[in-house]
Amino acid sequence: MKDVILKAEDLYFSYEGEKSHSLNGLSLEIERGKKIAFMGANGSGKSTFFLCCNGILKPSKGCLYLDGKPYDYSRKGLLKLRQRVGIVFQDPDNQLFSASVYQEISFGILNLGVSEDEAAKEVEEVIRRLEITPFRHKPTHALSGGQKKQVSIADILVMHPDIIILDEPAAALDPRHTTIVNRIVDQLTEQGITVMMATHDADYAMGWADQVFLFKDGRVLAAGTPEQVFVDREILQETNLEQPAVLELFEVLCQKGILSPKLPVPRHLADLERYIREI
Amino acid sequence: MITIDRLCYNSKLRYVNAGEKFAFSVLSLCACVLSRSVTVSCFVLIFMGILSVWKGGIPFSCYLRYLTVPLVFLLLSSFAIVINISHTPLDLFAVELGSIYLTGSRDSLMYALNLILTALASVSCLYFLSFHTPMPDILNVLRKLHCPKLILELMLLIYRFIFVLFEVSHAIRVSQNSRLGNRDYRTSMKSFSAMASALFIRAMKKSDALYDAMESRCYNGDIRVLNENFPPRKAEILWIVIFEIILYGLVVIEKF
Repeated sequence: MKDVILKAEDLYFSYEGEKSHSLNGLSLEIERGKKIAFMGANGSGKSTFFLCCNGILKPSKGCLYLDGKPYDYSRKGLLKLRQRVGIVFQDPDNQLFSASVYQEISFGILNLGVSEDEAAKEVEEVIRRLEITPFRHKPTHALSGGQKKQVSIADILVMHPDIIILDEPAAALDPRHTTIVNRIVDQLTEQGITVMMATHDADYAMGWADQVFLFKDGRVLAAGTPEQVFVDREILQETNLEQPAVLELFEVLCQKGILSPKLPVPRHLADLERYIREI
Repeated sequence: MITIDRLCYNSKLRYVNAGEKFAFSVLSLCACVLSRSVTVSCFVLIFMGILSVWKGGIPFSCYLRYLTVPLVFLLLSSFAIVINISHTPLDLFAVELGSIYLTGSRDSLMYALNLILTALASVSCLYFLSFHTPMPDILNVLRKLHCPKLILELMLLIYRFIFVLFEVSHAIRVSQNSRLGNRDYRTSMKSFSAMASALFIRAMKKSDALYDAMESRCYNGDIRVLNENFPPRKAEILWIVIFEIILYGLVVIEKF
């Protein structure tokens, strides 16, 4: 029995003044506590879907379910929904509205009607956990891209959501900050938060995700474990994605008879390295 | 403006309670404006300068440069006060121009000097506030003084977006320059107008995106945030009180 936390059923959505649908009969199920990667070309509907998950956009047709209950678009219902499903936007400059890091992080939790003392405690906790302390007194406009990203994740995390949606969190980050963000993402999963992430990095998705959704033209083209999805070259070509390096190498090694195709598909380069060492 | 912002985040007095700084600079400002006396102005001017440079760690050259900004305006406008055109020569100087005189009186010179000093001293008070207090802290003080919420929220957003849009405009500028967009006067005018319209559209888009992002964090039309408080210290308050007593004592002596 699958423990489904979020379900989308036949979603349609088009932006005002546009004829083509941004979402075009999208259906999918998200399991609780899992790490889910969303992949697909720009404009394939990932961000639109995320905004629908959070109730910012309302699909023109179809329905979303959280814990089996259809979305409630009343004021109160939306408030509850947005506490449980948080989005970290791709461009932190579109998300951070205050010049002070502390003010910025406290915004979300105060909107939940928590007392100021309790909110202050939560904010301190999240600042400590996400390693924001070294730059907490800097103005947001003086932060680096990676630091802004850390703050924008803290913005959401402080609200204790059940699902966190990250829209290309590693876009335009240097390797050091990518590592930091990835470490934070791993922390989220450890806390039992369901993480949905849009990414273009097939190598990362291969190693990280429990499940991968490939989007094309506003619907799901393929879904499954990374091993299942990334093996299918035809589908990958259709979405202009490259096969993860580890998979490509593994296939070549199998073709040459160096490794046995019966081995479980490696997800990290380290796994492949181990196979080769064990020959 | 960007420099002032950088200065105030690096100031040594940044973590002093904002209320103290606000009260100190506003009270001193009032003293300057009320007294209009050279002694009080000089006293404030020198004291604020010493405090900003020595206690606050603002580079002296930088402080002087900022003081010269209003000085230029003041000098220009005081010319108008000192120099008169009249049929009779006044006591300070007089240049004959046919039947009329370009002339000035000793009184008007003193008056202009007094005005310049008062204005400079007042500006130095405000500089003290803005060189050592980040904008969010000032807003926090204003909130405690019951300034209308709408204005404060607008100030908060505007302040943040000055920097966001500044970055965008800078990026557009660089990309225009790299394509010879400012080759001559004509192209630079054209590039500037293109940038202005692009910036406007970008600002609209950004504000839309920001609103979405705030909505997704349960925004309900009321920006509520926590502020970090740096508690006031007794010794500092004592110094401020002593200074203001001396200052207002001077005001009283000068006035009567």
